[in-house]
Amino acid sequence: MTHPQKSRALRWLCTLAAAAALVFVLFPVYAIIVGSFESTETLFSGTFYWLPHAATLDNYRTVLQGGSASTQAGVNTGQSGNVLTSLIVGLGTALLALTVAVPAAYALSKYRLRVTLVIVSSLLIAQIIPAIVLATSLFIVFHWIHLLNSYPGLIIADGTYAIPFAILVLRAFFFSLPNELMHAARVDGASEWQTFRLIVLPLARSAVITVAIFAFLAGWGDFIFALTILNGAGIQPITLGIYSYLGNYSTDWGAVMASGVFAMVPAGVMLVVAQRYIAAGLTAGSVKG
Amino acid sequence: MNMKTQAGAEPTPATTGTGAAFRPVGTGSPPRLSGWRRQQLAGWLFLTPAIAYLLFAFALPIVYNVMLSFERTSPATIGNLTAPFTGLSNYRFILHDPTSRAAIVRTFEFTAGSLFGQFIIGFALALLFSLRFPGRTLARSLVIVPWLLPLIVTGVIFRFLFQAEGGAVNQLLMNVGLAHHPTQWLNDPHLALWTILIANVWLGVPFFTLLLYSGLQDVPVEVKEAAIIDGAGPWQRLRLVIVPIILPVIEVTFLLGFVFTVKVFDLVIGLTGGGPANSTQLITTWSYNLSFQQFSFGEGAALNNVLLVLALICSPLYLLLSRGSLRRSWGADT
Repeated sequence: MTHPQKSRALRWLCTLAAAAALVFVLFPVYAIIVGSFESTETLFSGTFYWLPHAATLDNYRTVLQGGSASTQAGVNTGQSGNVLTSLIVGLGTALLALTVAVPAAYALSKYRLRVTLVIVSSLLIAQIIPAIVLATSLFIVFHWIHLLNSYPGLIIADGTYAIPFAILVLRAFFFSLPNELMHAARVDGASEWQTFRLIVLPLARSAVITVAIFAFLAGWGDFIFALTILNGAGIQPITLGIYSYLGNYSTDWGAVMASGVFAMVPAGVMLVVAQRYIAAGLTAGSVKG
Repeated sequence: MNMKTQAGAEPTPATTGTGAAFRPVGTGSPPRLSGWRRQQLAGWLFLTPAIAYLLFAFALPIVYNVMLSFERTSPATIGNLTAPFTGLSNYRFILHDPTSRAAIVRTFEFTAGSLFGQFIIGFALALLFSLRFPGRTLARSLVIVPWLLPLIVTGVIFRFLFQAEGGAVNQLLMNVGLAHHPTQWLNDPHLALWTILIANVWLGVPFFTLLLYSGLQDVPVEVKEAAIIDGAGPWQRLRLVIVPIILPVIEVTFLLGFVFTVKVFDLVIGLTGGGPANSTQLITTWSYNLSFQQFSFGEGAALNNVLLVLALICSPLYLLLSRGSLRRSWGADT
């Protein structure tokens, strides 16, 4: 074989290897999507069907209208309300993260403050703190100040995933803005706030979008704070809804998988429409929320 | 990209003249006498929400968790902020309770096993993606999918795949003749943790792949070519040239992977709920069980502190590896 031919064969071999790897990576996602369209009879037949068997929308109907034999949470009024709850929590987390993180990141990169080193070290360490440690304490503290079972309580807790990450990513971005920009604005008589609001913020648009997407996904996908801070009586995000279908002895697989597909939608949408922000966030932060 | 064009449209110091001539780093125009103080004030104001948030959502819970671990809590004391002081008895409980001890040991084993699997597969994929082949951009963007899913969803998917009856894994094993009867992946106390481990490796591989891939991108082409000219085979090139160069990236990846795996919770709850017979309880899930199912918040808090110490062991190393980011905190960059 001549050299170019050999290298072309090698390249296709790589494609083949990558395709094989992707089968493993994507198969579980494929399985839940296909499974969500299977009938209860198929799901409990004891046979796994590699291809769609007898597609039906029954599971989605069950999940949207409620009425499933819910196994752990007692009441389950259907996932449509839960999807809305998760949207509110996700958007709330993104909003909180931006409100706190954008000005902080600006201060930590463009102002010379004594606390900068302490705060940045704290942020790095905060990313390490396991959520269960915070959840145990926040449960009692929130009980005391009446934030249990509330949107603000859950959003504040979910912010712990997003805010340290957001500040660090935005700070890295602000370093890339030339200081002359700020000096010029000041010379022209802009106040500090105007400089931030009118000059810096518009330039930070793409970094802000990246951070907002990750904060949204963190709030949307959160399970541990929802499990501890909400006690099932009031608001219930979709992650808790899925959990409520899991039984110790029997699981309503159709309902679990249809709600699981709902829960995957934002990630799927982001992957398609915001691919470049996702890639930027993943490499910039190097930490998942 | 449009950032650059916009930035270009802003007035530059050169056009505005005198202002920025002998400024100290990061401070503004000397003509205003109050400039420095005004900027200190503005900086602090910009930081205030973040400081308040960090104190409320991180510092307070951590301090409170330490207090809680020295208190004798009961369902009746949850309504109060404090309970009677009880010394070290919660920690004594953790050390003697077989389930807690097993959970601590298991967390180590699980973390070590996960990191090993994630690194081997992640590194292999990173090497694959750094080669040129048709479809590699698509493959690279799809490989991150597992990372973006809610963890509880990943848990239930694997619960579905590893079912004894009608699960894809058993079906495959039996179809290809590797097994003759269904394996009780999730009901066998010896196998259940392996199932979680496999799910966690699946979950962590994209992270390892992406970070190691970005490390590989920084290996200079000349170095690789020089190694080829010197007659190094692929394995030697990898071991003697590439790995030493990207060692810092490997360290960061392991460190973050450790921190991430040590906190795994949703996955276990989704897959096994800690069972069967507590055989898959990790520190996180057992702490949840102690606090929120047995209402022994003091004991849960003590176990939390074990986890916290475990996670924070890494923090000096983490700060050291992030020193680039920290060094900029001195303002040296400007």
